[in-house]
Amino acid sequence: MDVIKVTNLTKKYVTHKRGSGFGAAVKSLFKREKVEVVAADEISFSVKKGSICGLIGPNGAGKSTTIKMLCGSLYPTSGTIESLGMNPYHERKKYVRRIGAVFGQRSQLVWDIPPIDSFNMNRAIYGIGREDYKSRLSHLAGLFEIEEVMQKPTRVLSLGERMKCEFIMAMLHNPEIVFLDEPTIGLDILAKTKIRDFIREINAAGTTFILTTHDLEDISQLAEHVIIINHGKKVFDDELIKLQHFVGEKKIIELTLPQPFNAETLHELNVRLVKEKSSHEIVIEADTAQQSVGELIEKLSRKMHFTDISVKALPMEEIIAKIYSD
Amino acid sequence: MKMFFSVYKSCIKTALVQATAYRLNFLLSMLITLAFNLLFPLVTILIYNAGAGFPGWDFSEVLLIQGVFTLSTGLIGMTMDGLVWATMQHVREGSFEIVLLKPTSPLTFLISTNFDADSFGLLIGGGALFIVGLVFADVSIAAIPVFIVLFAAGFCVMAGMNMLMAATSFKWVGNSRIPEIFNSLMNFGKYPLTIFPAAIRGFATFIIPVGIIAFYPANALLGDWNLRTLLPVIPCAIFMLFSIFVYKRMVRAYEGVGG
Repeated sequence: MDVIKVTNLTKKYVTHKRGSGFGAAVKSLFKREKVEVVAADEISFSVKKGSICGLIGPNGAGKSTTIKMLCGSLYPTSGTIESLGMNPYHERKKYVRRIGAVFGQRSQLVWDIPPIDSFNMNRAIYGIGREDYKSRLSHLAGLFEIEEVMQKPTRVLSLGERMKCEFIMAMLHNPEIVFLDEPTIGLDILAKTKIRDFIREINAAGTTFILTTHDLEDISQLAEHVIIINHGKKVFDDELIKLQHFVGEKKIIELTLPQPFNAETLHELNVRLVKEKSSHEIVIEADTAQQSVGELIEKLSRKMHFTDISVKALPMEEIIAKIYSD
Repeated sequence: MKMFFSVYKSCIKTALVQATAYRLNFLLSMLITLAFNLLFPLVTILIYNAGAGFPGWDFSEVLLIQGVFTLSTGLIGMTMDGLVWATMQHVREGSFEIVLLKPTSPLTFLISTNFDADSFGLLIGGGALFIVGLVFADVSIAAIPVFIVLFAAGFCVMAGMNMLMAATSFKWVGNSRIPEIFNSLMNFGKYPLTIFPAAIRGFATFIIPVGIIAFYPANALLGDWNLRTLLPVIPCAIFMLFSIFVYKRMVRAYEGVGG
């Protein structure tokens, strides 16, 4: 059953173009050129109840704008959204009572006071019964193991601790849909793992999650359904497994060499040279379906010396390019 | 309504906890606000001690007007000032969507979460001046209900002005000088309106009715009132309702910033 249905959703902004420097600043006092920006362009999709849907795309693709419209915070220019059987922006107060949101770059916690005081404030705002509140808070805090952290002022918490508290703040009223906008941004691997486990646990109880992220690991570990947006347009909307078919098992490997790069050393390694960043730095692409990262590193170290190595997922731009070219 | 007061009570508690997080700053801010505002009647004292004065007004009557004015600005500072700055900040930083995520009206949420405890000093100072004025001026007890109604009307005007100033932030991002303009206009309300030329009197009564903040309520308390005195209450209430409408409409113009 679809819990969200979006049809031809469009959001256009008008901004003012201004050059740089003093002259342009003075000129802009009298005349400013208007520029129309299409942040979301006729996007249509639906999300199944109880699923985790990944909304991905490069910076400026329109992901956050789409999420904000789904949350009822922004009015679309045209198109319709039906979420939980409601129109999010026309029935905002009723609607937001049934959803939760975590914005990785915007905090809902009050900075100078402990998170527990912010939670108490949310209890009053959402009208949560005292007993319900106590048991839910204790359950959520237990999942994150942050009972003591909640008593310290927010400003002294680490980013990981703060994000865990942001999640609790968003979940206290037991929302049916939770929107996550880059929830793992800037977090270390331990905190990311904890948050992913938390999302899985809450999702198992039937909560639907819509997740935007730049971290493809979040998507591959959590999402069943993936939507890719680029330049405001939807370019992919299917199951994660289909996206993996497009992308394959490709990894990007960056190497720093002590001596100038010699292309012959890559022969018989079954890799593709993507870029020579300098005479001592190269970027290669490897298919880990054919050989594991461990095997490849072993072969590389036999064929050449390198002083540094980093293994990354395929950048979003390349995934989108592959989807377009297919 | 019950829900509104429950939210308001909880948010004010949070705002007080937040204000007291930096205890020294909280106490100093309150004392400095109190000291600065108690200095302003000093000018009146100097004028009357020098043998001059405001024609038709004795010292205690002027003190009563200034007490009502300080009390009123203290009350509005505590309850509504935060709305202007919080709206400006949220719009500029693109965090207004956090406000819109709450199942309350943005006005209720921002007014209650931005309760300004610093203005408590002003409220105490205003209260003290008002009591001194009440003791020494020839006050009519029968006029107290009229005073309360006019005082509430003055509150509506200032609350409405704060909402309009906040509403401009949605279109005019970073308009931090607008409150200064309004504060300058409010200064006309500190003195008996009758000392000003007719044009200023008309402006302070009908255009931006700052006279209703202190002059009309205090004047009623001094016995100068009839049923027509209550007439400005209607436009003041309409003005506040209009301001609420404008703020709500402007929220729709919110566009956020890049994510």
